Amino acid sequence: MFFETVWKLITRYGHFFTEGLRNTLIIAVVAVVAGTFLGALMALMRMSKVTPLRWLATAYIEFFRGTPLMVQLMFIFYGLPMIGVSFPEISFIPDFPRFMAGIVAMSLNSCAYVAEVIRSGIQAVDPGQMEAARSLGFRKGEAMRIVVLPQAIRNILPALGNEFVTVIKESSVVSVIGIADLMYRTNGVKAKTYNTLECLFVAAILYFITTFFFSKLISFAERRMAHERK
Amino acid sequence: MSGNELLRVEHLTKTFGKLTVLNDISTSFAAHEVVSVIGPSGGGKSTFLRCLNLLEQPSSGHILFDGVDICDKKTDINLHRQKMGMVFQQFNLFNNMNVLKNMIAAPVKILHMDPEQAKEKALGLIRRVGLEDKLESYPSQLSGGQKQRIAIVRALMMDPEVMLFDEPTSALDPEMIGEVLEVMKNLAQTGMTMIVVTHEMRFAREVSSRTIFLDGGVIAEDKPSHELFDRPQNPRLISFLQKVL
Ligand SMILES: Nc1ncnc2c1ncn2[C@@H]1O[C@H](COP(=O)(O)OP(=O)(O)O)[C@@H](O)[C@H]1O
Ligand SMILES: [Mg+2]
Repeated sequence: MFFETVWKLITRYGHFFTEGLRNTLIIAVVAVVAGTFLGALMALMRMSKVTPLRWLATAYIEFFRGTPLMVQLMFIFYGLPMIGVSFPEISFIPDFPRFMAGIVAMSLNSCAYVAEVIRSGIQAVDPGQMEAARSLGFRKGEAMRIVVLPQAIRNILPALGNEFVTVIKESSVVSVIGIADLMYRTNGVKAKTYNTLECLFVAAILYFITTFFFSKLISFAERRMAHERK
Repeated sequence: MSGNELLRVEHLTKTFGKLTVLNDISTSFAAHEVVSVIGPSGGGKSTFLRCLNLLEQPSSGHILFDGVDICDKKTDINLHRQKMGMVFQQFNLFNNMNVLKNMIAAPVKILHMDPEQAKEKALGLIRRVGLEDKLESYPSQLSGGQKQRIAIVRALMMDPEVMLFDEPTSALDPEMIGEVLEVMKNLAQTGMTMIVVTHEMRFAREVSSRTIFLDGGVIAEDKPSHELFDRPQNPRLISFLQKVL
């Protein structure tokens, strides 16, 4: 009975779910890519010798990691327009301002986590590597680029992959501001059919398949990288 | 010690917070001199060596290299570090590069040496330490003794005027110590100026012409090696030698 209903939901409302999943993936990809660029900058600031920059970055990171994503999302969705920041309507992307609020919130949040991933990835490289490079006469930036970063990347990439998987799951909160992600579509089908458990089951399976797929992809890439090293 | 002085240390003091690690040290090193630095652990030997190429910033005092005060803020320390090779206890070969890349990275990127020419030079040097078959190997595939021999020739690629060694054999299994000391001995015979922090008392006595006993942040003895080992005066040196010999 349960699985019959599930099957019915999939055949009849499958396109709702897949469209929701597509939006979830778009949000996750954009958030992690943007979060990576911003996070790299934030990590640099966090490790900077300039004290105000370091404080600023630390405050940002602590704040975004120490408050719920839901609150951050609400702040951006309701708060930004109040201070006069709003995204324009775009004809070919329905609900663009709403969508952008979700993406901005996810990116700013991801930035804080990625900054810590990058910082700890760099700091996990033996300081002796930097010292040896400096002792040969390399400037700090160049030593970073040719010696430290290539080694840090091996620590950072897998963690970035995990961050992507986390963001896929966490992004479900954007449904509360009405972005048509997988969670939002699930709620829609639920309201239409009253098959509450079955709908949640389909959503859970879709989330799981997606995250499982990416997790496996990451550990495969990780093994490849470890292999190349030798 | 007079004559062609290469490196001069004047009133060098280094503190970490409240801890004074080096206390008003003055000495100098002549070109082609081989000097050992011995002393109890925690006595400031590494800090002293690392101050010479400013891996540690001295708290006060001056270091003159080729007559230039490298502690002066206006001095570009990177230029001077090129002329001061350093060998570390933990080897510190670049893990992301094979042996050849480790050796040619600095001359090619810093001195803009032609890569082919750098490779020729690397081959010449690596033959001197008998590891020419390891050019393509990565550090993780080498033994400790091999790593350290590569680290030495990597530093030599820059044609340094002085080589600083910080306990180059302390992280090695006993059977590998000899091969590294052998390379250092040969290097000393070529006339390289060397400052060697070491626990190898035989090396200090036989290879270095002068030995400094660094204890509690000051130079407690500084003498020709034979004299220092044969007729130690300082009671703390006597008890140190009793422990290590
Ligand atoms: N970066 C540092 N910060 C604080 N204390 C340090 C640092 N480096 C060395 N020290 C301290 O300075 C003292 C001398 O250390 P070191 O020069 O390594 O001695 P040695 O090489 O003779 O064993 C030790 O007490 C050590 O704990
Ligand atoms: Mg030491």
